[in-house]
Amino acid sequence: MNVKFSTWSVPSLAKIASIIVIGSLLGSLAAQSPQRLSKRYTVGKNVRVELRNVSGTIEVESWNRDEIRLSATIESPNAHVVPKQLDSSLVIDVMSDNKARGDVGDINFKLQVPISSSVDLETRRGQISVSNLRGASVRAHVSSEGDITLSNIVATQVIAQNTIGNIFFDGEFSRGGTYEFKSTKGDITIRIPGNSDFRMVATSPARKIKLGDFWNDGFKTQDGRKYVGDVGDGRSSVSVTNFNGSITFMRR
Amino acid sequence: MNCENCQELIHDFLDGSISRIDEIALNTHLEHCLDCDSVRHDLESILGYCRTHRGEYAAPPNTAALWLRIRNVIEAETPTMAESIEPRKSIFSSLMSRSWQLSLPQLVSSVIAIVVLVSLVTVVGIKRWSVTTNSQLEAAVTEGNSDVNDRVFQRNQVINYWNQRVELNKARWSPQMRETFDRNMAVIDQAVSDSMNELNRNPHDDIAEQMLNESLNDKLALLKEFSDL
Repeated sequence: MNVKFSTWSVPSLAKIASIIVIGSLLGSLAAQSPQRLSKRYTVGKNVRVELRNVSGTIEVESWNRDEIRLSATIESPNAHVVPKQLDSSLVIDVMSDNKARGDVGDINFKLQVPISSSVDLETRRGQISVSNLRGASVRAHVSSEGDITLSNIVATQVIAQNTIGNIFFDGEFSRGGTYEFKSTKGDITIRIPGNSDFRMVATSPARKIKLGDFWNDGFKTQDGRKYVGDVGDGRSSVSVTNFNGSITFMRR
Repeated sequence: MNCENCQELIHDFLDGSISRIDEIALNTHLEHCLDCDSVRHDLESILGYCRTHRGEYAAPPNTAALWLRIRNVIEAETPTMAESIEPRKSIFSSLMSRSWQLSLPQLVSSVIAIVVLVSLVTVVGIKRWSVTTNSQLEAAVTEGNSDVNDRVFQRNQVINYWNQRVELNKARWSPQMRETFDRNMAVIDQAVSDSMNELNRNPHDDIAEQMLNESLNDKLALLKEFSDL
């Protein structure tokens, strides 16, 4: 039997070995690096976006297009993100998509949505920020800890709640709208135009309620822990509750 | 021998039916006891008289009729006797009917005593009333607290159920998630505890009750949301 042997010089062998090592290294690095997801959805103007995350940040901002652009950074290779587009809504439910998969790590979302969108955002842990929306409703719920920042929001319903973390709302109260802000340990700051009209109930057992320019003699207080009163004609309803932190109203 | 035995034996002695030994003992006693000796003497006189005048008095012709008359006489006299007994006066009426003669110092002392007595009774009465009122208030407070405690207990039953579910799943969580959960649960527990303390200080504190309810709801919500992980 004839067997042919190739002759390899040492430099050649060294090159091949280097290529293999570098390839393996790059492969393993690629495996370790987070996955990126980027998708676009054509939608109407008044779309509703529902996002239920487990851990990670959620960032939503508006843009001047009738489409949603979804970007996500997925930490764990085991994690699945399967957005579902329904009639006039986009639903991203990380919890359901990853049932029985164990810890899926952080998934950081960034969404660009039409300006008149409604958003319903939830995460067990992580920050939520929403900016420049003029839709029907904005709901931001952090089960445990994470700051909530709502900037330049005009909506008839706003709900922001967390356990540990600050809540910042900068926007306008629409007539007939309802606004709820609640934290267990964190500071709540509400920045609104000076001519806002609302009926307010603010409760803070820590007695850290600052109404600033919105204070008037019509307010009733229970030993500084709770303030109830109208500002202007009181057409919208505002409820702010903070167990162990401050409540501050600021003029925009 | 005592006097009682002696007087019993006297009858036997007078009848002549006493034994020799008893007679000696009887005589010995009679020599020293003048009373018993006097009794013996009287009985001897009666018996002697009876023996002397035996047969001189005839028995009544109708004994039964005689006794009937006697009884009728007694019964006829009884109401008269009852009427003759004066009704007992009550203490109050006897007191009222009594007249008192007091000197000026006695009168002054009596007035002072009455004033002091009335003052004491008033003070004690007010104290007892206030104690009763306080205890009623405390009871009301306790009742209010027990209502809150009942509600907290019932809510805690549900919380315990979800807590068990969370504990089962906790092993699957990342260390960061476990730390986050524990930290947030501690914050909510602190809010519950603060509200409870405030309610214990003032059971009618609406804000504390509101905070307690909300913090318990938050705790339940946190447990439910983390039980899915």
